[in-house]
Amino acid sequence: MKLELGNIIINDIQFTNEGSKVENGVLTVNPEQIKSLVLEDSNIESCEVFIARPGESVRITPVKDVIEPRVKVEGPGGIFPGWIAKVDTVGSGRTNVLKGCAVVTTGKIVGFQEGIIDMTGPGADYTPFSKTYNLVVKMEPVEGLKQHDHEYALRIAGFKVACFLGELGRAVTPDEVETFEFDTITEGAKKYPELPRVAYVQMLQSQGLLHDTYVYGVDAKRTLTTIINPLETMDGAIVSGNCVSSCDKNPTYVHLNNKVIRELFKQHGKTLNFVGHIITNENVYLADKERSSNWSAKLAEYLGCDGVIISQEGFGNPDTDLIMNTKKIEAKGIKTVIITDEYAGRDGKSQSLADADPSANAVVTGGNANQVIVLPPMETVYGHLHFVDTIAGGSANNIDAHGNITVEIQAITGATNETGFHNLSAR
Amino acid sequence: MALEFIVITNNPLVQEKFADELNVDYEDIPFRDVLCKVRDLIHKGHRLLTHPLSGSVKPHETPYKSVLVTTKPSQMDLGEVSIIENAIITADKFAEKFPNMPQSVKEDFQLIDCTLITSGIDAVLRR
Repeated sequence: MKLELGNIIINDIQFTNEGSKVENGVLTVNPEQIKSLVLEDSNIESCEVFIARPGESVRITPVKDVIEPRVKVEGPGGIFPGWIAKVDTVGSGRTNVLKGCAVVTTGKIVGFQEGIIDMTGPGADYTPFSKTYNLVVKMEPVEGLKQHDHEYALRIAGFKVACFLGELGRAVTPDEVETFEFDTITEGAKKYPELPRVAYVQMLQSQGLLHDTYVYGVDAKRTLTTIINPLETMDGAIVSGNCVSSCDKNPTYVHLNNKVIRELFKQHGKTLNFVGHIITNENVYLADKERSSNWSAKLAEYLGCDGVIISQEGFGNPDTDLIMNTKKIEAKGIKTVIITDEYAGRDGKSQSLADADPSANAVVTGGNANQVIVLPPMETVYGHLHFVDTIAGGSANNIDAHGNITVEIQAITGATNETGFHNLSAR
Repeated sequence: MALEFIVITNNPLVQEKFADELNVDYEDIPFRDVLCKVRDLIHKGHRLLTHPLSGSVKPHETPYKSVLVTTKPSQMDLGEVSIIENAIITADKFAEKFPNMPQSVKEDFQLIDCTLITSGIDAVLRR
């Protein structure tokens, strides 16, 4: 299978009263078009649209999702299969990408929601989305809308806006075209018989409201561990339905740009033979955990892996899935490297994970989510700042008289991402 | 026959939603006490059915926790003992953050805990 990503580099977003367009690297948006698109959903009462550029004194919170605008220009399927497009298999043909910009949705679903993106200052260093030109879509629900319906409305609205913007890039010649090819198992085995066979085991958050992920429109907690072509993931097969404790949750943007997949493609044919992408879940029922991790190990063995990389999504409950996956895959004689983050206490001295095993002896960390940071006030806040008092990583009265907010970095969107899509490093 | 289980909870919404249908053991006790109550049952041989650290809302940030265990004790499972003991150790790393939480936020935390345990209940009952 072969996928081309046609990157149209976006250097700015501007508002207009006329038609929205992409021209000379500038995304020009008529906010009324965005509002009328969003307000097609009768569950959304009001919608406001803002622009947040890198370096501006802007805070976006609470962030629901971050989505990259895209359009399918050649080949089967469409963007966000199972939601916006039909469920045709994606991952081939050409997809145009508005690179460097993002749709950021915000809206209060529950009173302890979080997800902070600061476009400047110390907080900006902790989120990759301070570097993107963001179209912020703030939405309020109709009175009495239940939280499940509210989450659904915001999620779909974000996808619709991203697809609307992506469509503006349909006829634009991309600045660069990246080509990715993924071999069948037999082709890959013939091409690189001397290289170690490595698969990616990606754990998907799947516990309930604000803790869900969807694959081709299917709730991941209702799935068995399976194999997906990594090109399908890069082309929008997996989307986010979660945002609680946003430091280590994967917004849809991260699924589209999964760094583990990209790095495995870079090494494919050089240092390793990238043989597959296994997706598994993180359910709360222990029998589901046993079943799903059994299947991860079985599929890794079936692919003839010498090694796997396992990425986690979240903390606590998924630590158990992480360790089950690791133990069972190692027991098959397959080496593992796990990517996680840590909750090691504010002083970094506590045990990092809620579960452990001697076989988990190669670990990459995304950082300590309990690390404390002081975020100075921003001139403009898009969203609702009053939730900062009740978010993960915050605490009561954590805003001082000068407007400084003291939080743990777990409140910052993507701060300790467990797929390597973030800025923290020990280098 | 479906597995028989008890819902150990301090969440009034879980009590309200499931008390008529399921065996719900509700007590108005702190988060940590729910975990300790579950630990004591696991030590007596009840089987742990759902993960005690379900949800990304951290211990003590949310006051509510619901866990499923089997109704009848059998053999104590060391893996499950490890999970519940580690959950208590983990919970103790997090200080109580919001002692004066507004009622609306409490209700949101109740709802999240309720959806998490509902996904566990649905899985056990295969519905």
